Amino acid sequence: MTAASAEVGTRRPPWTVVAGRELRDLWLGGRGLPLMVVYALLLSVTSYLVASNQALNFLEQREAVSLTLQVAVAVGGLLVLLGAADAVSGERERATLESLLLVPASRRQLVLGKAVAAMSLWIAAFVVAMPYLWYLGHGVGVVTSAVFSGLVVGTLLALFLAGFGMFTSTLAGSNRLSLSVCLLGLLALYAPTQMPSGVQNAWVGDLLLHVDPFTAGLHFLGAVIVNGHSFGAEASWLIGPLVAAVVAVAAALAAAGQLTLGSGDRS
Amino acid sequence: MSGLLALEVRGLRKSYGDALALESLDLELGAGHILGFLGPNGAGKTTVVRILSTILRPDAGWFAVAGVPNSRPQDIRRRIGVLPESAGYPRGQTGEEWLTYHAQLFGRPRSSARGTARRLLGEVGLAERGRSLISGYSRGMRQRLGIARSLVNDPEVVFLDEPTLGLDPVGQVQMLRLISSIAHEHGATVVLSTHLLGEVENLCDAVLILSRGRVVAQGTVTEVVHRAAAPREALVQVSTQLVERTLRAFSSGAIAAEALANGAQGEVRLIMPAGMSSAVAATSVMACLLNADVPVLSFRLEGGRLSDAFLAVTEASS
Repeated sequence: MTAASAEVGTRRPPWTVVAGRELRDLWLGGRGLPLMVVYALLLSVTSYLVASNQALNFLEQREAVSLTLQVAVAVGGLLVLLGAADAVSGERERATLESLLLVPASRRQLVLGKAVAAMSLWIAAFVVAMPYLWYLGHGVGVVTSAVFSGLVVGTLLALFLAGFGMFTSTLAGSNRLSLSVCLLGLLALYAPTQMPSGVQNAWVGDLLLHVDPFTAGLHFLGAVIVNGHSFGAEASWLIGPLVAAVVAVAAALAAAGQLTLGSGDRS
Repeated sequence: MSGLLALEVRGLRKSYGDALALESLDLELGAGHILGFLGPNGAGKTTVVRILSTILRPDAGWFAVAGVPNSRPQDIRRRIGVLPESAGYPRGQTGEEWLTYHAQLFGRPRSSARGTARRLLGEVGLAERGRSLISGYSRGMRQRLGIARSLVNDPEVVFLDEPTLGLDPVGQVQMLRLISSIAHEHGATVVLSTHLLGEVENLCDAVLILSRGRVVAQGTVTEVVHRAAAPREALVQVSTQLVERTLRAFSSGAIAAEALANGAQGEVRLIMPAGMSSAVAATSVMACLLNADVPVLSFRLEGGRLSDAFLAVTEASS
């Protein structure tokens, strides 16, 4: 009997081992902290600008909170996407994937562990955004609804982007391809926000805004924070992000089951 | 019976699109043996290692590793250790961290995994550098770290794909000692894919030569050399006055003789018939020369080594 099998009763699920390693690599020796510093600077600039406009009565306090939260959700999502897009294709490119595929764990567990690390970027981004939301929104009773709505929308979008990024990274032959496809996809999701208002108000535009997880999620934040609507009244705007998150995570897990070494496996 | 074999392979086949990488591999290897897995570049060695280590799926065929059939890939991975060809290493981790991580992925608790990592680092001669970042390791140190990684689960079968690639001669010797210790101290079966034919000859119990995805020779080193019927030559040195007599002595037999261009030194080249063993060749030459009353100043038998057999079988198949 091998030592490994003798200790089988005390083993941790492989995804937790992978997640632990990835979290250490990301936050202690990797890009996590530098990215958070840049993100915090961006939020500081945004907060300063919206606070200045608020002082000049160009923006209401609720609008300032909504705008800052939307920036936090969008940039937090972008960070998750970048982390996920690199997760598998990066290992493939650095030739470290084969060693990982040789461990007695399912491919899905390996990918799940990496997705957890990517999701940690959203959690960190949300925590960093909280003081800004409190500073901009205190006194008008909007902070609580902003925090909860931001948490719900941001988490759904982060799950969607983590799934999309992992799916792409699993199938892409190179890191460059994975990052390009992911960024292109993200830009396409922002495109409906640039539609003329006439098109947005037509039924096609309205459908597109509902279906697109980004526009739907950001619309939900605006409606809850700026207009003071209840979660229930605007729940239809959460269907798009929810469906997108479920589909993307399912697609990522399905692709993970077929994870291969990639184009470099010929000899 | 599968239980007695470390490796059992039947009709393994693999293509990449239209390119046939492996035609039909059959193999049996007993536990505790070292198999030298040889072949020119592109012969399909890495494909075989990746199939047997469950990284690639074969198009056809069946195999069992340590008695576990290929229908249970996770159980196979639990019992094998692999040093992949041109493996990459995380530059931002220390050797100890990386080994601990992999030992945990093989089911060891963290404290036990760290202990395993330290023990293996010591075994491969990296105890002093275990806490240094891998980015500072030399090529040879990384290969040794890769060997340690392949042992974190006390494997029953170890696949080493080109472990000496890119190493200097000293590094190659150290690596081969390490491989020998895996078989003899860890008691593991070793499949060694390499181009170092001389070392394979000394180290391996069995040899398998692939060429263009086909098995062109298989057996013990002696069997492979004998079956390959590699051309064999001998160089005999006699007194310069006796060169003509020497040539006449071999004129009617199966051994062909020719004086070298620098025959003034009394050197004669002898070409043996294909398939003649070393012992028969040497005896025949000496008998001929004794009968002709030619004193021999020196005699050197050439060819008949694994490298000659390798060239013979791979050239014949191409």
